[in-house]
Amino acid sequence: MASLAQEPGLVTITIDGTELQVPKGELVVESVKRLGREIPIFCYHPRMKPVGMCRMCLVEVGMKQPDGTVRMMPKPQAGCTLPASDNLVVITDSESVIADRRGVLEFLLINHPLDCPICDRGGECPLQNNTLFYGPSTTRYVEVKRHLPKAFPLSRHVTLDLERCIQCGRCVRFTEEISGDAQLAFLFRGAAMTPRTFELTDLDSKFSGNVIEICPVGALTSSDYRFRARPWDLETRPSTCLECANGCSVWFDHRGGKMVRINGRVNDAVNEEWTCDKGKFGHGYLNAPDRPAKPLIRKEDVLAAADWSTAYQQIVAHFEDGRTAVAGLVGAKVSNEDLFQFKRMFHRHFHSPNLDHRWTRILPSQTEGVRGLHGIDEVHTRIAEWESVNAALVVGNDLASDQPMVYLRLRKAWQRHGAKVVVISERPTYADHFASAVIRCEEGKLFEAVARLSAAVLQNREGADALRAALKPFAPDAKDRAAAEALKGEFFTVCSESVYAKPDGGKTVSALANLAVGTDNAQRFNLYPVGANDMGAALLGVHPGGQGMNTREILEGCIQGRIKSLWLLECDPFALWHDHQQVQDALENVEFLVVQTSAPNQAMQYASVVLPCCAHVEADGTYTNIERRVQKIEAIWRPKGDAKPSWKLFTELMLRMNPSRPIFEPSELMEMIIAEDESFAPAAYHNLEGNGACLPLGVDAGAQLFMEIYQ
Amino acid sequence: MIGEIARDVVRPILTGLKLTAKRLRRSKITVGYPEVKRELPPRTRWRHVLARYENGLEKCIGCSLCAGACPAKCIYVESAENTDEARFSPGERYAVRYEINMLRCIFCGYCQEACPTGAIVLRKDFELADYDRPDFIYTKEMLLEPLPIRQ
Amino acid sequence: METIHLENSRGRPKAPNPEQVELKFSDQAVQELEALLTHYPDKKSAILPTLWIAQREYGGYLPPEAIAEVAVRLQRSYAEIEGVATFYTMYHVGHPVGRHLIEVCTCLTCQVCGAYRIAERLKAKLGIDFGETTEDGVFTLEEVECLDACDRAPVLQVSDAYIGPVDEAEIDALIEKLRSDPGSGTIRLADEIVKAQLHANEQRDIR
Repeated sequence: MASLAQEPGLVTITIDGTELQVPKGELVVESVKRLGREIPIFCYHPRMKPVGMCRMCLVEVGMKQPDGTVRMMPKPQAGCTLPASDNLVVITDSESVIADRRGVLEFLLINHPLDCPICDRGGECPLQNNTLFYGPSTTRYVEVKRHLPKAFPLSRHVTLDLERCIQCGRCVRFTEEISGDAQLAFLFRGAAMTPRTFELTDLDSKFSGNVIEICPVGALTSSDYRFRARPWDLETRPSTCLECANGCSVWFDHRGGKMVRINGRVNDAVNEEWTCDKGKFGHGYLNAPDRPAKPLIRKEDVLAAADWSTAYQQIVAHFEDGRTAVAGLVGAKVSNEDLFQFKRMFHRHFHSPNLDHRWTRILPSQTEGVRGLHGIDEVHTRIAEWESVNAALVVGNDLASDQPMVYLRLRKAWQRHGAKVVVISERPTYADHFASAVIRCEEGKLFEAVARLSAAVLQNREGADALRAALKPFAPDAKDRAAAEALKGEFFTVCSESVYAKPDGGKTVSALANLAVGTDNAQRFNLYPVGANDMGAALLGVHPGGQGMNTREILEGCIQGRIKSLWLLECDPFALWHDHQQVQDALENVEFLVVQTSAPNQAMQYASVVLPCCAHVEADGTYTNIERRVQKIEAIWRPKGDAKPSWKLFTELMLRMNPSRPIFEPSELMEMIIAEDESFAPAAYHNLEGNGACLPLGVDAGAQLFMEIYQ
Repeated sequence: MIGEIARDVVRPILTGLKLTAKRLRRSKITVGYPEVKRELPPRTRWRHVLARYENGLEKCIGCSLCAGACPAKCIYVESAENTDEARFSPGERYAVRYEINMLRCIFCGYCQEACPTGAIVLRKDFELADYDRPDFIYTKEMLLEPLPIRQ
Repeated sequence: METIHLENSRGRPKAPNPEQVELKFSDQAVQELEALLTHYPDKKSAILPTLWIAQREYGGYLPPEAIAEVAVRLQRSYAEIEGVATFYTMYHVGHPVGRHLIEVCTCLTCQVCGAYRIAERLKAKLGIDFGETTEDGVFTLEEVECLDACDRAPVLQVSDAYIGPVDEAEIDALIEKLRSDPGSGTIRLADEIVKAQLHANEQRDIR
């Protein structure tokens, strides 16, 4: 047999008589996939380290000798732990391999309860599938099966059924390797081995939902999905999660107009295949029974159902040509098209610049933000790039809550190549356990902590004398100096806009930007937004700009009577704004309040007009995530009642006020967005198939320092 | 002429009448439906019934396999969890809603074959006519066997 | 095996916050732990000896608080430590054991030499079965596999001492002697193992 020409880094192996070249060290179970063949697996997972626990992937292995003969190993080997090496011979379909698989499956099924008809995994279960394809059709085991507790709730979301467990360790390894909280472990190893939490405490991991998906049997099932449907009852559609700004790809399973469950969808650019619990279990509001289905108009203190025409009439009467007396506030789950049309309606027809999408305590204006003060873009790093960073500085709230996918990537970087991570936070965070240094500061002292660390970092470096001088008042202590050791070279900075919710948030962000600029790491500075489409809103200019009022001024204006009419688009100020009293006063005092919402909220009781609008799964639209990836979400089911997509509603209103060419499709709006802002050019609808398109990042205008914060 | 008439008309009539007269002596094949009903063959497949165990618990566990097997997609199952206070079936799971659209059903019996507990069975009741389309959606209450009478 | 019970409530108690776990190791134990840690490449490797320290410090067994303390001191997760501790039978996880742990070897040699008779005698005398503890908390009786002392069969391990060969007559005297011993054999055993660990490590250093 003539050997193929050897390329560096590649080895030649033979699988079932076919010679092929694969990267050295690639696991045989992966190499086999290159031939379109498959080795059955349970415990192996491509994103986790192999352990060889289930023995399902047994293959015959041999070594080709220099004289051309093949010396087979006496026993079969686990394909998932066997790295490819030169002259390896693998046989995956011999009689003995088939017999081995049968034996392993018969063994695994000895104590498996076979309650597939009631098991939530039935129909999509790897154990079922492998048994069907590779297993014995009968069992020789006639004794009584082992009985163990069933339906044990490990947490509010995860239910454990011990009888079904085949002890593959995927869940345990996930919590150890991927999410890092290690809340699950194998206890009572031996005949009674069970995966469970310490003393059966709550499995309160932020990523616990993933163990449900990776469990190859029905041992870990979702408490929310429990017994709600079978896989063949469901319609599955690709979608994007909007519970945070990461924009993870998900599968959206629905049945009869009801959301049933969310599963992770493979997208190597964003979420690999993971989901966070907020996204996986947070879509219940779509099934709320009291979602508004008709326009409601207040008549003598009661909201009564009305038709669109009356509602439009009232809105036009109060908003048209409102000059500065009208304002609009926007929530996070609004698509780019809706935002664009909303802004256009306010600017062109209501002649009002009073628009804002931000709800944090600090609302930096155009000249006060990172871009204004430091001349650098807010975002420089894509999500996937985080897994190759060597050093990172994490500041503010828990990264795992605000940016779960960035957290997972950063943890991967630490696990793969020992990335050094420094955490500055007020409270314990998920990233603490792998951080090389944790600086825990008192509440409200985040700015000082960042400044002290900056001083320590600059002590190790040349240049940036002006910054060093400005940082004189902040003397670093031993802990800061130890942390600065990790940030000697290039380092990435990550912070979320939730830091603006803190009183010293503006100064913190500025200090962080100074540190990045002063250490030539401006290209590695990141201030990620938190709300689903906050990035889109910022790029599309749904903020006061130079002349308008921001959220605080709008609420104050409502109280003082300067704002006569207020429009709330998909937002509940009571849930978003820190000062409840102020919100209540504002909503009570404003003359005319439009609440446009897809889910019932507290602001509705103050509304003059309630407009039902589509949730993201009911209308086509695009959303921009933290790395400026524009992803399209398609309508999955029909709108509830008379609800309309927001952009359509705005279009109809605008036509009423000023007849012009109507817009029929959201893609037309995207074309208009592109015409207005060239940076959106990659996001034309024909480019958005698959994983969407990325807008340019890191558009810097010349980095500069801003020293006044240190005084 | 008369010979022809006798041959072509009278004789066939008489032959026919003779056959009738012969058959008149035999017992009848037809029955006086609906007053009289015929015993149907043992493998007749008509109206579905959700069977119960002898202790009154439902056999159906709401596994939805019948819905998966149904070629006409006429079965809708929604399941829920048994509790000790409200127990419908022996295991953890029971069908909280079970509906069959009889207009769509083709009485193929695949549901019966798919059922792991023998809960759904096609019995011999074939009088399924009704006046309104909605009435053809048979709910779980209509399909369930009546509770066995306690002695 | 400890079984877990089916509960209807969806809410479960939370694991303790690592920053609020009460650290109860004595100063001596902390010093021992620090000495031990210098002998291992990372903290994970020191789980087993640290569990012995904890078993000594917490009175001969490992309550959940002990597991939590070991986890906090070694910066591992609670579940991982519990998983290790539950694997080894010499760690008594969760349930207290008596002052004196009597382990009866019932493997082949001892069995042939009458281990079951000894065991029955012990059970009758103490009024408990295997795996149980007397009400006064003095004795725990366990059935164990080969103690590697076949030459002394039938052999008992009483906490830190091997006793054998024993016959039924000696049992009564042994029980009385142990009952009058105020110290705890289980703690003594843990202490000896910790000392042995430290000593073994010291010797390795010298070499």
